Amino acid sequence: MANADEVIFRVGVLQDIDNLNPFNGITAAAYEAWALMYDGLTGYAADDFAPTPRIAESWEQSEDGLTWTYQIRTGVTFHDGEPLTADDVAYTFNRIMDGQLEKTNYGSYVAQIKTVEATDDSTVVMTLNNPTPLMERLAVPILPEHIWSEIGADELEQYPNEPGSDPPGGVGSGPFILTEAREGQFYRFEANEDYWAGAPNIDGVEYRLYRNADAMVQALKNGEIDFADDLDANIFTSLADTEGIEARSSVYYGFNYLTFNGGAALTDGTPIGTGHPSLQDPQVRLAIHHAVNKEALVDRTLDGRGSPGTTVIPPLYPEHAEPEVPVTYDPEEANRILDEAGYARGPDGIRTMPDGSDPLVYTLYARQNSETSQTTIKFLQGWLEAIGIDSTAETVSEGRLYEIAGEGTFDMYEWGWVVEPDPDYQLSTFTCGQFSYENDRGTVRAGLNDSFYCNEEYDTLYEQQSTETDRDARAEIVKQMQLMAYDANAYIVTEYYDYLQAYRSDRFTGFVPQPDPDGAILFQYGTYSYLNIEPVTESASSAAASDDSNSNAMLIGGAAGAGVLAAVGLWMFVRSRRGTDADVE
Amino acid sequence: MAVEATVAPAASDPADERRVRGPRGGGLGRFIGYRLLAGLGTLLFVLLFNFFLFRMLPGDPAARYRGVRSINPEDLDRIRDELTAPLPEQFIAYLKDPLALDGISSWKGQPVWDLVSGRAWPTIVLLGTTTVVAVVIGVWVGIKAGWNRGGRFDKVSTAVTLLFYATPEFWLGLLLILFFSTGIGFLPGIFPSGGVIDSGLEPLSFAGIGSIAEHTVLPATALAAVYLAEYSLIMRASMVDELGQDYLMTARAKGMMDRLVRRRHAVPNASLPTITLIFLNIGFIIGGAITVETVFSYPGLGLLTFEAVSEQDYVLMQALFLVFTGSVIVFNIVADILIAVIDPRIRT
Repeated sequence: MANADEVIFRVGVLQDIDNLNPFNGITAAAYEAWALMYDGLTGYAADDFAPTPRIAESWEQSEDGLTWTYQIRTGVTFHDGEPLTADDVAYTFNRIMDGQLEKTNYGSYVAQIKTVEATDDSTVVMTLNNPTPLMERLAVPILPEHIWSEIGADELEQYPNEPGSDPPGGVGSGPFILTEAREGQFYRFEANEDYWAGAPNIDGVEYRLYRNADAMVQALKNGEIDFADDLDANIFTSLADTEGIEARSSVYYGFNYLTFNGGAALTDGTPIGTGHPSLQDPQVRLAIHHAVNKEALVDRTLDGRGSPGTTVIPPLYPEHAEPEVPVTYDPEEANRILDEAGYARGPDGIRTMPDGSDPLVYTLYARQNSETSQTTIKFLQGWLEAIGIDSTAETVSEGRLYEIAGEGTFDMYEWGWVVEPDPDYQLSTFTCGQFSYENDRGTVRAGLNDSFYCNEEYDTLYEQQSTETDRDARAEIVKQMQLMAYDANAYIVTEYYDYLQAYRSDRFTGFVPQPDPDGAILFQYGTYSYLNIEPVTESASSAAASDDSNSNAMLIGGAAGAGVLAAVGLWMFVRSRRGTDADVE
Repeated sequence: MAVEATVAPAASDPADERRVRGPRGGGLGRFIGYRLLAGLGTLLFVLLFNFFLFRMLPGDPAARYRGVRSINPEDLDRIRDELTAPLPEQFIAYLKDPLALDGISSWKGQPVWDLVSGRAWPTIVLLGTTTVVAVVIGVWVGIKAGWNRGGRFDKVSTAVTLLFYATPEFWLGLLLILFFSTGIGFLPGIFPSGGVIDSGLEPLSFAGIGSIAEHTVLPATALAAVYLAEYSLIMRASMVDELGQDYLMTARAKGMMDRLVRRRHAVPNASLPTITLIFLNIGFIIGGAITVETVFSYPGLGLLTFEAVSEQDYVLMQALFLVFTGSVIVFNIVADILIAVIDPRIRT
């Protein structure tokens, strides 16, 4: 509205940027905003997430992998005109290593770093405790020392990092400059004409916050916004034939899974919890895997927007391993395996342990905030029944489920993970070291391992991959590990879900998917689309207005509702009229 | 506590009370004082009650940290311990700062009162617009319908207002977005579907006010429809009650014009319940716009409440509930006083 000839790319989001301070926020929207404002030391390639230079132009490691030298790009300036030098890089990393709050978001990057030093204006040297492939993945936003050194550790938590802050906030070296932040409403960014990788083709970006998915989609239809992020399957489907709008279902890096209580214990080996003994038998887990119909789940819970899952590193990553012979949906095979393993059915049709004790009755949990989770558990109950396993199911909050997982008081439950480009964190969820532990207060807390799968060979491979700095060699180990966990049926990965986005194809073009060609076109690891999109030329944009012929669910629903309203109104009117007529007579 | 001590003599000494009732001003003054003290007592009770109310919410304030990024279980534990200290510890902290003056939002990391005051003005704009529209239209419709009970206007307006009254406001909001924001058929989409102001505008500039007005039309309509229905139904009912009263007969017998009888005699007497309701509602709309503000992504206190609850931000909820209960109590007192001024019979 302000300037008609300015090209502002307006993005509708359902999740607020909880904080513009890169040490405080945690939402995906906040990370997206920081990606516009700041440059990382290294980045992720658009086509396959491979490490790419950003502020670090190049880097090399010493023979033993314990010393890494980064060549810092010269001629990069912060938004306030100050040059970005190696000192700013060293400052940022040292601040994280010395800090506490600073570690919440970036602690995993610096875990192996011993020292960080700027040896001259364009060189940073880091020394390590142990070699780690993470040194190519340092997506830490580089902060201007001249501003952040004024913010003490005790002030950090309350520093809003907005344009009006003291000291001035939002100053980075990224492709867009934060100009206006209205909490709960919108965030506006202006293109950085001096960006080292070239100025963007658009004049600015605006995030508009919607707390209602229907309203956001209406805004997309009437042209208030150009992009709608993170849609539900049913809303997405309703957009399919809308002219001027491209709805895009992209592969994503999240998955849902069913886990087993494979023998809950503390890290020191003390058994805990109430897991059913049968689930420690890999054959039982295999049988249950055969009983689960993943295609049906994808259809019913995702409206087909996803694919059946196998291993824990999703297929969009090059490190994904696909099992040669995947476990198929085959209840007969499941029954055969259980019969063969000696879990005979009792008179009531429920199987017991091979020695006749402990009927197979499982306790299942679903997540309160996820309909997918509840549907999956409901289906699972039927599938278990078909192979002679009885169950009770309960729906609990994620917080409660986290406790239940830690205490091991479950047999199976449904949850999900979102997997980063570096596989380390996800692989650690199957290590013995991530079993539950007792904290200082004596309470049992969950580690990351919620299947209680523990295998020495797996742990050895985990150590190997975490110090292997050759990318191809590491990928081989990572694949081997995924298959080990898959073959042991530690998890049943039920589905890889898609990421649903929609945009005005009559206004903008040139989106860059990550990974190429099926990945998301915004909310990526990087700013590729923001840097490459451009307005559609005049001739093509005339089709915009003619989208009134679409018939979507909401429209029909609304019209029907209005019709009912009118009918009821008419009926009441007639009725009350008749009533008084009678009175008069 | 202190409140009871001061209140007690007034309540337990009817003789004393009768004595002061004599002169007009004294009665009203005492009445106001009593109401203020009672209001303060309620507020104190609410302060204590709120503490336990929030903590009964299911869920884990730290859960949102899990699965977002690679966070260590140890770090997660530290966050959880900070957010969920044992209840007695939390209660002591709560008592030290019951108004959350130093409170920091766990969700936004900002002082809660900054957040609340930043979100207050959209709600006040929405509330003001809604109240004015609902009162003017609702009362007028109610008077007209009640005065000519059984007439055509009454039949139509009662049917329509009953419908509005029964309509969930968020659903009405969605319909408004569909018809007037997206546009349907020949209707062009003329109003924005969300927010309160366009970016790049100063709220107090000419263009800014225009933009706010444009953004407020639909949510205000959705809210006003429900409240005007309520006012008109109550107003109509009270008018109908007055219709058969002797004093109206007397007024007519004096040869007064029907219009004047209505304006000077019937309406003032019939408006008492509506006035009470209007002021009570102001208190409630402040917090009660939650659904409408959420549908229209209107960044007011209602939306903030929705966010505070979904993010399990106890301190923010504490501040918000204080605002809501405070405003209900304050407007309750205002209504009581106003009625007492208008109708001396109330002052006992």
